[in-house]
Amino acid sequence: MVTLTIDGVEVTVERGTTILEAAQQAGIRIPTLCHDKRLIPYGSCRLCMVEVTARGRTRTMPACFNPARDGMEVATHTENLIYSRKMQLMLLLRSHPLLCPSCDAAGDCQLQNLVHEYEVGEPPFARESRYFHVDNESHFIRHNMNLCIRCGMCVRICDEVQGQRELSFVNRGMECEVSTDFGRPLDCEFCGQCASVCPVGAITSKWLVGTGRQFELKKTDTTCAFCSLGCRLTLGEKNDKIVYVDSPHAGPNEGSLCVKGRYGWPYVYAEQRLTKPLIRKDGSLREVDWNEALAFVANGLMKVKNATGGSSLGAIGSARLTNEEAYVFNRFVRTVMETANLDHAGGHAYRPLTDAFGPALGYPASPNSVRELRDADVVVLFGADITETHPIAKNEVIAANGRRKARPIIVDSIQTKLTERMGSLFLQVRPGTEYVIANAMLKWIIDGDMVDKKALDLRANGFDELTASLAEYTVENAARITGVSAHLIAEAAKVYAEAGNAAIVLASGMNRVGNTVELAQAAVNLALVTGRIGKRSSGVHLLSEKANSQGALDMGLAPDLLPGFHRIEDEAARAKFSEVWDGAIPESKGLSAREMLDNAESGELRGLYVVGENPVDSYPDRGRVEKALSSLEFLVVQDMFMTSTAKVAHAVLPVASFAEKSGTYTSTDRRVQRLTRAIKNTSAKSDLELFTALAAMMGKPSLTYAGSEQIMEEIARLVEVYAGISYGRLGTQGLVWPCVDPDDQGKELLYEGGFPIGKAHLVPAPTLPEPSDDGLPMYLIPAVLKFHSGSMSERSSSLLEVCPPGTAEMNAKDLKALGLKEGDTVKITSGNGASVQVAAKWSRRAVEGSVIVPYHFSALKLNTFTKWDQPVVKVKVEKV
Amino acid sequence: MEERDAILKKKREADRVIITPDELEQLDPVIEKYYGNPGYLIPALKEAQEIFGYLPQEVQYKLAVGLNIPASHVYGVVTFYSFFTIQPRGRHVIRLCLGTACYVKGAKEILEIVQREVGIDVGQTSDDGRFTLEAVRCLGACGLAPVFLVGENTHGNVIPGQTVKILDGYQ
Repeated sequence: MVTLTIDGVEVTVERGTTILEAAQQAGIRIPTLCHDKRLIPYGSCRLCMVEVTARGRTRTMPACFNPARDGMEVATHTENLIYSRKMQLMLLLRSHPLLCPSCDAAGDCQLQNLVHEYEVGEPPFARESRYFHVDNESHFIRHNMNLCIRCGMCVRICDEVQGQRELSFVNRGMECEVSTDFGRPLDCEFCGQCASVCPVGAITSKWLVGTGRQFELKKTDTTCAFCSLGCRLTLGEKNDKIVYVDSPHAGPNEGSLCVKGRYGWPYVYAEQRLTKPLIRKDGSLREVDWNEALAFVANGLMKVKNATGGSSLGAIGSARLTNEEAYVFNRFVRTVMETANLDHAGGHAYRPLTDAFGPALGYPASPNSVRELRDADVVVLFGADITETHPIAKNEVIAANGRRKARPIIVDSIQTKLTERMGSLFLQVRPGTEYVIANAMLKWIIDGDMVDKKALDLRANGFDELTASLAEYTVENAARITGVSAHLIAEAAKVYAEAGNAAIVLASGMNRVGNTVELAQAAVNLALVTGRIGKRSSGVHLLSEKANSQGALDMGLAPDLLPGFHRIEDEAARAKFSEVWDGAIPESKGLSAREMLDNAESGELRGLYVVGENPVDSYPDRGRVEKALSSLEFLVVQDMFMTSTAKVAHAVLPVASFAEKSGTYTSTDRRVQRLTRAIKNTSAKSDLELFTALAAMMGKPSLTYAGSEQIMEEIARLVEVYAGISYGRLGTQGLVWPCVDPDDQGKELLYEGGFPIGKAHLVPAPTLPEPSDDGLPMYLIPAVLKFHSGSMSERSSSLLEVCPPGTAEMNAKDLKALGLKEGDTVKITSGNGASVQVAAKWSRRAVEGSVIVPYHFSALKLNTFTKWDQPVVKVKVEKV
Repeated sequence: MEERDAILKKKREADRVIITPDELEQLDPVIEKYYGNPGYLIPALKEAQEIFGYLPQEVQYKLAVGLNIPASHVYGVVTFYSFFTIQPRGRHVIRLCLGTACYVKGAKEILEIVQREVGIDVGQTSDDGRFTLEAVRCLGACGLAPVFLVGENTHGNVIPGQTVKILDGYQ
């Protein structure tokens, strides 16, 4: 720690802190134009100059990259400094056109604010005008380099934070400007980070052009509803309509957003949004009023329940429900519908958490927070293309790679953006064999005697069984099965074992290749044996798919769970819940999503209530799902859009979007954050309102709440890990569970002091699989795109503009071998006769022998290819 | 600003494939030498320019992939150094010194003569591909003022009237 004096205030800060950061901690503002805490200090604007007196000498130096030292006396606003800043601003204004009245940044322009603050009048220099690059063609983002002040923020954020490296300074001296190569329009992630950091109006989001001034907007802080990282959003509204989205710098994402978060929101205003409930009358869906629709749904469900009992009803929830809605949905299903048949995410996307993390470690959740990745030395990504699935988590890996020379080890069957980074190792595996690599790495480490056996025995049991089960997983065998060279597997194992901080990243989700319990088990074993669990910037990260994937699990949306991971078979837990819930809870485990569909087909399950999920488009084996749903007596779908599932329903209830409701989401690193209602003028009802209304009609009026805050109070009473959480405590950073009492600040790192189950369990590895070959030449990999996530993004006009549906990404060699040009239509056929026609596209992602088709687009019906146990299929590709 | 946009667009059009993929193969030894090594960008660019005479889009993109550098950064470096050029140059590059000493000794007249007789302005290349004219700040040979280089040859103490005669020596 060092102590220094800034403007007479004494501050004690950590060693390595800059003078600027020390001043910020002391509450003293030093003006800057080129500083951001996410970026490496650059020192180009020279506005942060301060006078530092140390050892009897006074010198002027920039505060942003000089570290604070003991005994420094810093003056931030002397006469000389003010004069120097004024001069600096005048020099900036010399070539900055004063178009402020028409500039989109006016009011939010940091240069304008400083010019105002320092009372800069007409500069004494002749103004000069040169013409620079203007780009109006790019999606979402507008460049006008005539306004640029060369602070380099956009170039640096694109480089250091996003790793996209799209922008660069070009030309020299007075002609210097920021541009892409050859001044072409942007072709990047379109994250808009460059626009968000630009201190002036040189780079702006196009939508704000002519829409409104920043200070006119009504701002609401909320949480992003796309992926599971829980980025904080600020929704800016004008005339009760969202026109702008940004992120507060104080949130856990530090102001960074991806393309979906920043530009994906127009789906809220999509024309396809359902506004009125529909019920099936005479064979077709008709719009009716709310009372009629709710009565129809209540009667339909009651009719089935009264005839054949609650067990012939089923419910499928969604990881997009808020914690409160998921909790009430659980209560509704268990006590009003009186069934244990409750599931979400296809019943398998969360299985790695419940079947691998939970039994092995204690909690079915990721033990480390995503922010810790930036301090890792090695990051192993097993089948996790986080550039596409979780772009903001990718930023952490980029930061680790850029600043700490961390080595990404990518075990995947597609090339990702991270494979191009310096020091990366790319283990190109056959799809679905990622866990073989993990087990082979573990065996290599154990055989090499690189395990601290004593420390391990204190923390975990089952090591001998694990070692025995790994006998077959030699690097040579793994090489044969996965197609990766044995030498490379051994190198990956060595790099992982020898690293100081080594993190493993997995990504779960429906239809996601490699998303298996085996992989999660292997990853947990690997981390446990090498002592990486309970350690900062190490551990295993399982990044889930949807905004509240973790929360849906916490609230027990599974056939065998009650909120708080209590087993439904546990009598004490059932008693506790049934007392508060005012109703008996079924005693045994219910049906999983897959079993519900199987039983629907056989006629045992007769009514199904689907909330926020779209089984027809997103579950594997589309044909069977369609058949199962059509054999149901009564199907209710609650969704924002007319999805393929809603089309076959007997009743469709429209619901509110994330901007129209309040509640909480729990991110994949267990951070509970507020969702605040921004749009008030809407006819849509929230899922919560519908559950309570239906409960009242179905004879359970006691299921009612005054609002989501009251539900959180009830959750805090019943769910141990949420016990200390209340709305009043959820600030910009949220709270991370386990948070057990009102003074608990939450635990970002689990298992630091031990495991809640005593010792961790090492689970033996499965027998070595044999590669199967069904003769077809290519792998069809259902992939993820950063621009899309499913039914919401598919209806977002903005995301469709930058990424229209329907392309098959292929390797250049495969394209050549098939005689294809980019844009040619190809026909992809699988062994079971399913086929799809799409346009071929050259892509660096696709490796030889694979064709990548995004599975987000319902029109492609990609799930006609996949089976429940087989997310990857082999196909034949031919030219049409 | 529209005018500027028009110029930019026109320029981009002109940049289009002038180098065929077969010709581009000449770059392979350079990439092999510096493969995946971003630190060697400048020697790689220099060698590429020695092969092609200039650094068009295709060459820059190929080097970017080969050396693992973003294309925007390669472009940034190419545009920074006056030694590198994106446009094809003439067979002979005239580097005319317009430093103070040369200027007062008549470099301006030499410039006017070149502009009139060869028909190119500073930074341009004659239509027959014979000359490219570049103006430089100082060649460090003020004792020889006015001075210019044609290719590697230095011509000092030039009397403006001799300019055409000197240039005639370069075909």
